Amino acid sequence: MSVHAEAHEHHGPPAAHASSRVDSRILGMLMFIGSEIMLFGSFFTAYFFVRVVNNPPHWPPVGYHLPVFVAGVNTLILVTSSFTMHWALSSIKKGNRAGLQAGLVLTFLMGFTFLFTQITEYARIGFAPHDNAFTTIFFCLTGLHGAHVFVGLTLLMVATVRAFRGHYTAEQHYGVELPGIYWHFVDVMWIVVYTTVYLI
Amino acid sequence: MKNPLRSEAAAYRFLLGTVVYFGAIAIASTAGGRWAGVAVFVVATVVVLVWFLREPGEKPPSG
Repeated sequence: MSVHAEAHEHHGPPAAHASSRVDSRILGMLMFIGSEIMLFGSFFTAYFFVRVVNNPPHWPPVGYHLPVFVAGVNTLILVTSSFTMHWALSSIKKGNRAGLQAGLVLTFLMGFTFLFTQITEYARIGFAPHDNAFTTIFFCLTGLHGAHVFVGLTLLMVATVRAFRGHYTAEQHYGVELPGIYWHFVDVMWIVVYTTVYLI
Repeated sequence: MKNPLRSEAAAYRFLLGTVVYFGAIAIASTAGGRWAGVAVFVVATVVVLVWFLREPGEKPPSG
């Protein structure tokens, strides 16, 4: 094929010049996660201000009990969902579409279970965000994380629909790679939240 | 130092490391009290920092 014919074969704008060593799609996700880390950091700053700088005599305040066991089970569910996410991506890298689909569906279901359980616990926990500083920062931190799970579920749903439509191959699977990075980040943040708020 | 979130596989390994790191701190503080948790936190943080800083970074592009 001549150079002239090749030029006419190409549709759309020319490929962008990339000076970064990181793929632009990965770089976009990394910058987004960077901004999320700063957002979580500001919430943790507020949490430690209330807990350490104010130095209340009891933490949690007397009469307040956190559902440590239920949140622990929820943590196991969320960590397990990262295993299935990794399995999904490993499968498509080997060309196994059934593994990809099963992994994504399982990940979505476990993420949904986590969010549903958290909302149910909010309804049964026995205190409200406006009660005092402890309850406010508790709902803010866990609610912020819940919002991230919701965003992750949205990304997973899109990836799952695309997986069932056969959009991914062993060579082209960025649509799964990026939600995977985000999902693991959401899990990491939950482990930090759970350890800080519920355990120590 | 390599970016721990450069790919899904790297993010997955980072998650596993996070589970071990926070799990050790939580177990130590539950079993041995606050100062045991602080001690494990300090030791684990130093180990993680040394490991991260000694890990070779990605090579710059040639040319």
